[in-house]
Amino acid sequence: MPKPLIVLNDLSKKFGHTAAVDKISMSIGEGEVFGFLGANGAGKTTTIRMLCGLAKPTGGSASIDGLDVWRDRFRIRSKFGYVSQRFSLYGDLTVRENLRFFAGAYRQNHVNDRVARMVKEMDLEPYRDTRAGKLSGGYKQLLSMACALIHEPALLFLDEPTAGLDPVHRQTIWDFLYQVTQSGTTIFVTTHYMDEAERCTDVGFVQHGRLVAKGSPRELKQGLGGDMLEVHVEPPMPAVLELRKFPGVAGVDLRSGRLRVHAADPHGLVEQWHRSWPFPGLKWLGYSWVEPDMEDVFNAYAQGHHLQNQNQGQVEAAVK
Amino acid sequence: MSFTGSLKAVLTIAYKEFVHVWRDRRVLLLILVLPPFFTLVFGHAFEGTAVRDVVTMFHDADGSAESQKFADLLHGKDVLGALVEGSDNPEKVRKDINDLLQNLRDTFAWKPWTGDQKGPVNLIENGADAAVVIPKGWGQALLEGKPMAMRAVLDGSDTNTAPSVQAVLQQALGVFQLNERYELIKNLPGEVVDLGEQLTPATQHEFSSSLTPWEFDTEILYNPKLLFVDYVVPGMVGLILQLVTVTLIASTITREREVGTLSQLLVTPLRQSEIVIGKVLPYLFISMFLIAGTIAIGHLHFGIKIHEPLLLSVVCFLFLLCSLGLGLLISAFSKTQTQAIQFSVFLLLPIILLSGAFAPLSQLPISIRVFSELFPLTHFCRAFRSVNMYRADFGFISTDLLALAAGAVITCIGAAFLLRTAED
Repeated sequence: MPKPLIVLNDLSKKFGHTAAVDKISMSIGEGEVFGFLGANGAGKTTTIRMLCGLAKPTGGSASIDGLDVWRDRFRIRSKFGYVSQRFSLYGDLTVRENLRFFAGAYRQNHVNDRVARMVKEMDLEPYRDTRAGKLSGGYKQLLSMACALIHEPALLFLDEPTAGLDPVHRQTIWDFLYQVTQSGTTIFVTTHYMDEAERCTDVGFVQHGRLVAKGSPRELKQGLGGDMLEVHVEPPMPAVLELRKFPGVAGVDLRSGRLRVHAADPHGLVEQWHRSWPFPGLKWLGYSWVEPDMEDVFNAYAQGHHLQNQNQGQVEAAVK
Repeated sequence: MSFTGSLKAVLTIAYKEFVHVWRDRRVLLLILVLPPFFTLVFGHAFEGTAVRDVVTMFHDADGSAESQKFADLLHGKDVLGALVEGSDNPEKVRKDINDLLQNLRDTFAWKPWTGDQKGPVNLIENGADAAVVIPKGWGQALLEGKPMAMRAVLDGSDTNTAPSVQAVLQQALGVFQLNERYELIKNLPGEVVDLGEQLTPATQHEFSSSLTPWEFDTEILYNPKLLFVDYVVPGMVGLILQLVTVTLIASTITREREVGTLSQLLVTPLRQSEIVIGKVLPYLFISMFLIAGTIAIGHLHFGIKIHEPLLLSVVCFLFLLCSLGLGLLISAFSKTQTQAIQFSVFLLLPIILLSGAFAPLSQLPISIRVFSELFPLTHFCRAFRSVNMYRADFGFISTDLLALAAGAVITCIGAAFLLRTAED
């Protein structure tokens, strides 16, 4: 385990009675690429904003390199870069003017050299005098990252840097992030693309403001307890809906024409279905066991929580 | 952090803000063209306050030589020869009479009497603003020294016109009577003059003194030509600049908040004070340029004299700083640009009405005047006019300058503070 750089200790944020972030505790080591995963509204952005000193925690605390993220927020500002969720640069300023502005704001010397180097590294050379507002989505994101990295911080926060980008630009962004980690920069990135979670060294799942799992992608997949059941049923679309209703099935996903079934006891299900196929309108064509991916992990946690809620509802109904 | 570091940071922001304004060509055109244009239009709108061409019906019911003579005077004919001859200072009297005649010709647009000559006069039905009637027996009464009132009907709904017309009629009547007295003295029979010669010099003097009318030597102070423009243009320049500064800067912070760049700005090591100063600087520069331009128009086009340019520059500088601070405070307080503009409008409305830009503050009740003191425009108008019209010195306007400076400091600190806390 590398030396912890970011430490969260019961970090919480309440808006009125709603807990946007609910007692998250974890630590992120130096040089890691930490992926913060969760559905929209799960509390990812609020967590990042607290870590950046833009929002005041209502409970618990967090520190970066030993400095409290709220109390010492003015001291740690030069230590990290922040790329917010939306494009947040000056659209009426050119690429170089934006870079120059942030270099000045971070009190850097040799501003022109820095800007020139960054333009080159980011392949922004052809657009260096284009107004930022006129760039395409991918280049806007690259420029945002360039502005956040102009002062060569040891830590970079990215809030959904690839949201809404095409696969080519997503690849470009990730390639650049790898390049950044070469110099030892720690990366804290939120995403809801599961394939991107695979690229992280460490991943945390947040749901309804709570951290439900944290570990390397490999650990998390192993935590699912073995391979996933994939059944071949025709026609697949109605099958998804029918199978979801079956008792013991936690969730069903359609992947490349096969149905991936999440269940507490998948082996029991297969035996049961072998004995008697309960869906007269569907045709059973076979099954196989596949290695889970991050999307399965995400679905398992998401649906597991959902199931728990349902159980709770049933218990409450029974009590009445 | 060093001073030069801070200075660089401030200049970084100032440059960026300037580029924002420079690249927003439509707004740039607006702020460069509208203030001078408004100064021209408003200046002319409030310039013509002298009462002119009042449509007045006239009827001479007397028909005597005296009444005919007075009617001639009202129509601007010179019938006042005796007054000039009898005066110690004929040149001055000649000039005053010419002014009066010119004033009479300017004021009245005569029209013949229509309808009933007795009973109530209906001005509206006859399409007139005023009516003058010389009653029967007026000439005789004048000769006999028995005062007889002349009849004048005025439209009181026009609060500006009625007193002016009344004043000019009064003046004409007074001058006419004086002239009559001189003619009387001139035409005294020889015996009376001989008799007068026999009186002691003291009695002679007393007698002639009682006959010589005592004139008012009126001198108008502060605004000798009674030019309304001199009073109004500084108020207008201030008002326009107040509007421009507040609305321009009010959107700067809220725009960054809406677009999301404010978060980006706040995670940099920039201090709030640096952000605020950096944002105010370019607008201060632009608005100083604008105020100089609009005052130049006041000077070149309306002929307003500028006294003490240095002191006036200080007044303008502090006024703009305070206004920009106010706009920035609105900006830091609002969540969206729409809100910022709404706040600005609601704030500017009382400023326009209660700051004394057009009407003197002394006409407002004291309880309202307390609010007026809160507006930068109030202090600007008072200080500017004090210096430019009353030739006041620094000491006289120091309270206003202090109020403007304090306003600038308080609003800027408030804006900086709100920047820090406004994020949640």
